[in-house]
Amino acid sequence: MLEIPYGMRDFLPHDAAIKRNIENVLADLFKVWGYDEVITPTVEYLDTLTIGNKNSMQRHMFKFFDKNNRTLALRNEMTTSIARLVSSRLQNEDVPFKLSYICKVYRYEKAQTGRQCEFYQAGVELMGNGEPTGDAEIVALAIKSMLKAGLGNFQVCMGQVAFINGLMQQWNLSAEEQKCIRTALEKHDLVKLEKAVSEAALTDDAKAFLRSLPMLHGDKTVLARAKAFAVNEQSRQALQNLQKIYEALQLYGVAEYVVFDLGVIRDFSYYTGMVFEIYAPGLGSPLCGGGRYDNLLADFGRKCPATGFALGLERLMLALKNQGKAECLTNNKENYVAYAAGHLAEAVEKAMVLRAAGEITELAGTAQKLAEAEAYCQKKGYVNLVYIQ
Amino acid sequence: MSAENMEYLTIALPKGKVFGKAAELFKKIGYTAEGLSDKSRKLIITNESKKIRFIITKTADVPVYVEYGAADIGVIGKDVLMESAKDVYELLDLQIAKCHLMMAVAKKAKRKHLADYANTRVATKFPHIAAAFFNSKGMQMEYIKLHGSIELGPIVGLSESIVDIVETGTTLRENDLVEYAFIADATARLIANRVSFKMKFARISKLTEALRQVVNSAD
Repeated sequence: MLEIPYGMRDFLPHDAAIKRNIENVLADLFKVWGYDEVITPTVEYLDTLTIGNKNSMQRHMFKFFDKNNRTLALRNEMTTSIARLVSSRLQNEDVPFKLSYICKVYRYEKAQTGRQCEFYQAGVELMGNGEPTGDAEIVALAIKSMLKAGLGNFQVCMGQVAFINGLMQQWNLSAEEQKCIRTALEKHDLVKLEKAVSEAALTDDAKAFLRSLPMLHGDKTVLARAKAFAVNEQSRQALQNLQKIYEALQLYGVAEYVVFDLGVIRDFSYYTGMVFEIYAPGLGSPLCGGGRYDNLLADFGRKCPATGFALGLERLMLALKNQGKAECLTNNKENYVAYAAGHLAEAVEKAMVLRAAGEITELAGTAQKLAEAEAYCQKKGYVNLVYIQ
Repeated sequence: MSAENMEYLTIALPKGKVFGKAAELFKKIGYTAEGLSDKSRKLIITNESKKIRFIITKTADVPVYVEYGAADIGVIGKDVLMESAKDVYELLDLQIAKCHLMMAVAKKAKRKHLADYANTRVATKFPHIAAAFFNSKGMQMEYIKLHGSIELGPIVGLSESIVDIVETGTTLRENDLVEYAFIADATARLIANRVSFKMKFARISKLTEALRQVVNSAD
């Protein structure tokens, strides 16, 4: 058997059908929520993709050179490409932009089930809306995406980057201390956090609160608990912002899926406000994530608030399989039209009528005896045999 | 993971040195199961009334089970955790199995500066940790991965130095080796799968708090 490169996969008909059907559901959903699809190139200049995200993503990118020796890279996510699009190609058009995509992205990482080096993302970006209602729309649409795809059991964890930034500011932590605490929170390394906090010049109350930050997880009482510590404007506003987003989510009727988690910090450094991740039981990593990134577009020369999410299609497929909800997304083979010698014309006509009605219909390749047609029909798993003689 | 897995809390414990101490800590907070022993032939030991499952694995496999979510939480030495570089949450320093990672060299052939060892051979069970350490010193080394009796390396001329964990230093002394550079402290840690930590937050945070109290009172 011929090999394929590391981290790549084939989708055979069964899985390809499930994937396509999920994509169709999501594409329709994004459309009716008023999001227009955009398509950007798979290959971009490395410099473009690393604007605003100067962290370690670079070493996870597939890179190569063009004829002029400029470094190219395969896109590792879509948000940056869409930010480029909005600030260059669409620069004369008015905000807000509501854009969606379903496409392949690439990351040079250890391949695992549900996350190969080449994988599919579906997502939306809302640019030009800085209000909590914008964030609520994004979270609500992410939840609806899960529900529409058929997923029943999942949880949304919502946090706020500005809350943690505000806290660090109000306590006058040095840049070095901030970095140390932030890395520990991001990696959820509570042992490192403990060490960093105990070495920082802070009151005992502040230390205790920082230590408890990753444990601030639960319903809206979490916000009340956090409020006592939010002294400066930034951290207080961050909590108010979460409160408002939550109220709007109640209007959408999806608040039951949301828990607060003030320790959630996503891997991408461009987030500035609300962040969220969606988890399903049995999946070792989040299947959807997103949040507000108000500064990224300014890096491309067009200052504009923005929020969005991306979901991993393979991970969603895996979660649906785990919950027994994938099989109903396969294609139901409906009709096999076979014919006795001399009846091709009627057979073609019949097949075309069935196909026009949207039924999956295969027409026999040649004239067959009834017994042959029955055997084939059974082997291929068609529900109905239409035999014309 | 099925609905059944949602109901149970699965705890991965490593065979060997850490097992007894870790099992004892869990017992103190009421998490145990009948027949829980690393000599057991059963690989999964369940406590039906408390909805807990223990799985007993080879040391290096604990972070793997936890990263994939086959186990919700686990106990593992910081040395193994660092070497595996797995994406798991580190919840608590259990203060058991205390030891540290270091570089050791043959006493007789000890060189004056660390830099004098640049471009020499290092025998180790921890090539990633060793490489991170030497890279941070700007040194390029040749790493020779061994699976046990690392101390043999410099004695038989396989390598100029070793990177290994040391508890008391007895083995080093008996083999005429001497500790040359400290790399990191290593104790056993409580780790959690990132999704389990969110989905089973109430149980895991309660367990972590209880363990923290036991660990602190032992100080």
